[in-house]
Amino acid sequence: MIFKIEDVTVCFPYDYIYPEQFEYMVELKRALDAKGHCLLEMPTGTGKTIALLSLITSYRLSRTDFPIKLVYCTRTVPQMEKTLAELKLLHDYQVRHLGDQAKILSIGLSSRKNLCVNPKVLAAAEENRDSVDAACRKRTASWVRASENPNVQLYMVKFANVIVCSYQYLLDPKVAGTISKELQNESVVVFDEAHNIDNVCIDALSVTVRRFTLQGANRNLNKLRQEFYRFKASDAGRLQAEYNRLVQGLALRGDVSGTDQWLANPALPQDILEEAVPGNIRRAEHFVHVLRWLLQYLEARLDAENVEKESTVSFVSSLTSRAGIEQKTLKFCYDRLRSLMLTLEITEADEFLPIQRVCDFATLVGTYARGFSVITEPYEERMPHVSDPILQLSCHDASLAIKPVFDRFQSVVITSGTLSPIDLYPRLLSFNPVVSRSFKMSMTRDCICPMVLTRGSDQLPVSTKFDMRSDPGVVRNYGKLLLEMVSIVPDGVVCFFISYSYMESIIATWNETGILHETRQQKLVFLESQDAVETTSALDNYRRACDCGRGAVFFSVARGKVAEGIDFDRHYGRLVVMFGVPFQYTLSKGK
Amino acid sequence: MSNQRKRLNGEREEDDEEDAEGIGEWERAYVDDRSWEALQEDESGLLRPIDNSAIYHAQYRRRLRILSAAAAGTRIQKGLIRYLYIVIDFSRAAAETDFRPSRMAIMAKHVEAFIREFFDQNPLSQIGLVSIKNGVAHTLTDLGGSPESHIQALMGKLEALGDSSLQNALELVHEHLNQVPSYGHREVLILYSALCTCDPGDIMETIQKCKKSKLRCSVIGLSAEMFICKHLCQETGGLYSVAVDEVHLKDLLLEHAPPPPAIAEFAVANLIKMGFPQRAAEGSMAICSCHKDVKIGAGYTCPRCKARVCELPTECTICGLTLVSSPHLARSYHHLFPIAPFDEVPTLSSLNDSRRKLGKCCFGCQQSLLGAGNKQGACVTCRNCKHYFCLDCDIYIHESLHNCPGCESIRRPKSVSLMEE
Repeated sequence: MIFKIEDVTVCFPYDYIYPEQFEYMVELKRALDAKGHCLLEMPTGTGKTIALLSLITSYRLSRTDFPIKLVYCTRTVPQMEKTLAELKLLHDYQVRHLGDQAKILSIGLSSRKNLCVNPKVLAAAEENRDSVDAACRKRTASWVRASENPNVQLYMVKFANVIVCSYQYLLDPKVAGTISKELQNESVVVFDEAHNIDNVCIDALSVTVRRFTLQGANRNLNKLRQEFYRFKASDAGRLQAEYNRLVQGLALRGDVSGTDQWLANPALPQDILEEAVPGNIRRAEHFVHVLRWLLQYLEARLDAENVEKESTVSFVSSLTSRAGIEQKTLKFCYDRLRSLMLTLEITEADEFLPIQRVCDFATLVGTYARGFSVITEPYEERMPHVSDPILQLSCHDASLAIKPVFDRFQSVVITSGTLSPIDLYPRLLSFNPVVSRSFKMSMTRDCICPMVLTRGSDQLPVSTKFDMRSDPGVVRNYGKLLLEMVSIVPDGVVCFFISYSYMESIIATWNETGILHETRQQKLVFLESQDAVETTSALDNYRRACDCGRGAVFFSVARGKVAEGIDFDRHYGRLVVMFGVPFQYTLSKGK
Repeated sequence: MSNQRKRLNGEREEDDEEDAEGIGEWERAYVDDRSWEALQEDESGLLRPIDNSAIYHAQYRRRLRILSAAAAGTRIQKGLIRYLYIVIDFSRAAAETDFRPSRMAIMAKHVEAFIREFFDQNPLSQIGLVSIKNGVAHTLTDLGGSPESHIQALMGKLEALGDSSLQNALELVHEHLNQVPSYGHREVLILYSALCTCDPGDIMETIQKCKKSKLRCSVIGLSAEMFICKHLCQETGGLYSVAVDEVHLKDLLLEHAPPPPAIAEFAVANLIKMGFPQRAAEGSMAICSCHKDVKIGAGYTCPRCKARVCELPTECTICGLTLVSSPHLARSYHHLFPIAPFDEVPTLSSLNDSRRKLGKCCFGCQQSLLGAGNKQGACVTCRNCKHYFCLDCDIYIHESLHNCPGCESIRRPKSVSLMEE
């Protein structure tokens, strides 16, 4: 149907619209008019995606003098596919009703495994994702395809009206450069399902280094040295040219062609100093030496006995005193490595990941004095006897990664089904929204019955507090509850636990006491595991069991893969049981 | 819904649950339903339930309006010759006591009432009974037109055990109904009390098979709504409903008694051979073909093969001819030409006097139409004869009588027309 919101004619591809969808569109339009950012919360299942898409495309059509691009960011690939499907529906409807002027070009950007069309590259997709990217790079690196057209993806980004991509393309500095360059400031950026966006921002700027990373980095360094000597013997001219370039302080970014963006700097663009690379790492062999000293220092740090936490400034000062590497040198580690790898024409990016990670670490440590901390843990929490040291550079400030997005683009929309408390986000991400609103789902009748149980049927209090977890009374009460619910509720039941370990232990106890056996009489039982393939097949079978009338129970973990992003609609989710409240794992040093 | 709420309340109650089940229905009615609030005093000081007959009537009229809106002036073809299988689920869920005394007792009671009502309204049709026990479907009775044999077989053994299997029931019914002649309408009514179905194969295939054989499956659930039942009913064009209490179950069952509209492409017009047997003379002796016994006197003779049958309507066992009598046909007839709903008369007391003059008594029962005070009570009027009827007569006329007394009593000069349009 077609209706007007103030002065914009909105094309909505369905015949009915929920009142909250309409209000959502009104608020969104106001934010777009004000050219500011907004925070909108509307429950899942009320058609947020289509409301967003139809309003923004209609807005674009009504303002023909300011053509705005829409960048729609989603978290997972299935969400991206769903969005593209909705967009197609909308597009067909609009073209039918408004004619050819409504034609838009929309592209979806994803890891090349998912959307790449080259068949040979897809064949490599059975291996890990990084190798796919590497295989793709083999074909698209500028010196391999010197005569061919530039990267099709970037080309299309310039002309597309709607771009659907994942968060990384805008938030992760390593990848963001490719897309952001092509986008004008008048674009509207939408972050869908953005309740975890602070986590994504933090992860984008955090680096973890383990022992095998350092071992891999050592191997990489050896390989680099070999390549270097080979080049020195055969084509010394290239190395000399590189040295001259660095001496003259030409900005490395400007010189390298735009397609070779796969070696992108981990720090934010405005924090990269426009300076010449310092003298002690200009020569390739000096740089390799510096890297080796850095690796030795890091190995020594990993042998620490206790958990240590310190700020980046003190880390850098101890690094300077022990290994003689200055802060400025660290800052340029990444650029130097990139330049070296380009000069040596290395394309097997997946092999060189460890050294890249170490250089990421070094660059971030050198660049930022605040908002980060370096944490050394000699072993993992759960297994205190296994020595698995880990060195983490973790970012505390979520606003760092998202600041360029807010500064650059005219309107950023952060929307999700659960944004409570909504006034936390402006403080967390340090921005000022012009519109910040929460909507409620309108229902024609009472169709949800929420309940909180604090006692079992034998009057014992039940809880998932740490000290009560192995109490047999609690386990028995939970089991009884599950059994009784399963015998009255038809079709699908979903149960959430607070962690994998808890789920495994409680299910093992239920199995011993026979509760699981009785549950199986009524419904089939499926479990989520940490393996993605197993979980997908379990989910698939769960749906089949619900469809054919046998009924099924699905045990999964809150904040796991299943909890975020899988719809249990209609008969798949007749009852949801949450065993305990999933609190953050506060004992982890990083958090 | 209230059953579920009661059960959930029972779980959270601090008293022992077993005792709560043993406490009688009357106490539950006090605690949950608060039956004293549904009573009020009338003018003479006697207690009577709050006037909810108006609600009942409004519901009824709404139902009728929906039905006739669907008709919208056109005649709907309905299946008068129906071959209906009633499938009753006797799995362990049928022993649940949320319906008093148990689900299977209530099911049996209401199915008996349904069978009688069914043969009342559809004398030309036949019923068969199937039960599901232990995951296997058994035929209790084959398709037949005599209510007594079905009821006897049903009440014979009432026990509940094992799992329930929807697919097995559908397969069995499908097998039986495939042998039915093509002019008959094939229907299945499933009374399902279990919450899941344990099937040996792919139930979706069975559903497609039923759909292809034009089997119309309807389900009445007694516990909760299940996706597979909904899917089955949607695919085959039947009705799915879930009963919340005993009264509701009875209503839902009786909704299936009148014939459903026939699906257009399946209802091909056919000529069906039927026999109208004569009543045998008193004192004549013959061996009856249904009991294989010598009977004296009352009985009917098949016009084609002269075999003796005891009751009508039935199928002659010797030559297979459908034997009916004319009242049976007349009773089926009114489904095809339903009586139009009566119009409501607005009850404003500030109506013009002419109205008040007319509407003194209901034409049907001659009781006064005036309600409390001297105002006009709720009444309806027939479009054709313009007589006034009270609400009870309205319901009776539309549900049982199927003829408007006012229209029938209009003297027509030449011939008395049989139908009222």
